[in-house]
Amino acid sequence: MSVRLSARPLSVAAAYAALADPRSGAVVLFVGRVRPDAVGGRTVRALAYEAHRSVALAGLARLERAAREGTGVRRVILWHRTGQLAVGTPSVIVGVAAAHRGTAFRIAARLIAQLKREVPIWKTERWRSAHPRRRPPRPRAGPGAG
Amino acid sequence: MPGPVRILLFATARQAVGRPHLDRPVPAGGVAVDALVGDLAREFPELAVVLRSARYFRNGRVLRPGRDRVYPGDEFAIHPPYSGG
Repeated sequence: MSVRLSARPLSVAAAYAALADPRSGAVVLFVGRVRPDAVGGRTVRALAYEAHRSVALAGLARLERAAREGTGVRRVILWHRTGQLAVGTPSVIVGVAAAHRGTAFRIAARLIAQLKREVPIWKTERWRSAHPRRRPPRPRAGPGAG
Repeated sequence: MPGPVRILLFATARQAVGRPHLDRPVPAGGVAVDALVGDLAREFPELAVVLRSARYFRNGRVLRPGRDRVYPGDEFAIHPPYSGG
């Protein structure tokens, strides 16, 4: 499937397989992952992704078609996650198969920029607390105890 | 015939309102996008900030504020700036 918006984990191996094409001498795969950004003493532990699904899928399909028209690109995949993703988890895969590497790199870079700018997908940070909750104090021993 | 418009809220728009969608009655002849957005901004002051940089869609198609209208039965979506990737 060339475009995907899914709550299921993204597989780089499956992405590579989806770009199989004997006439393509170059395959570029971009994998975006959740970063542990730190802002104001807080650190991201996860990102929650949501989308306006019907509009997002139409937007991904439009980008996929445009990337293949008149560019020499033979196959394109645009896969994006939804749901809550822990740090390090792949959130997006952009893949391009083309005859030559220059085209594959250029179109892949253009696609991830367009995806971020034009497709209705949003992420919200889930923060790790700056002050982790302490364990409750143990009850004091009563008078006369040990 | 008058009827409701369903307003879809995403990301910061949803957070500002506290719900993923709203229903608002509109007359049979529809309502201008600017008027609907203005009403929402007055009703939800936190949403007003989001609306300044939002895009609007009707039934999956992008709208032109100042020119387009929404009608009973439409789905009106508010898109804050995108942040996928």
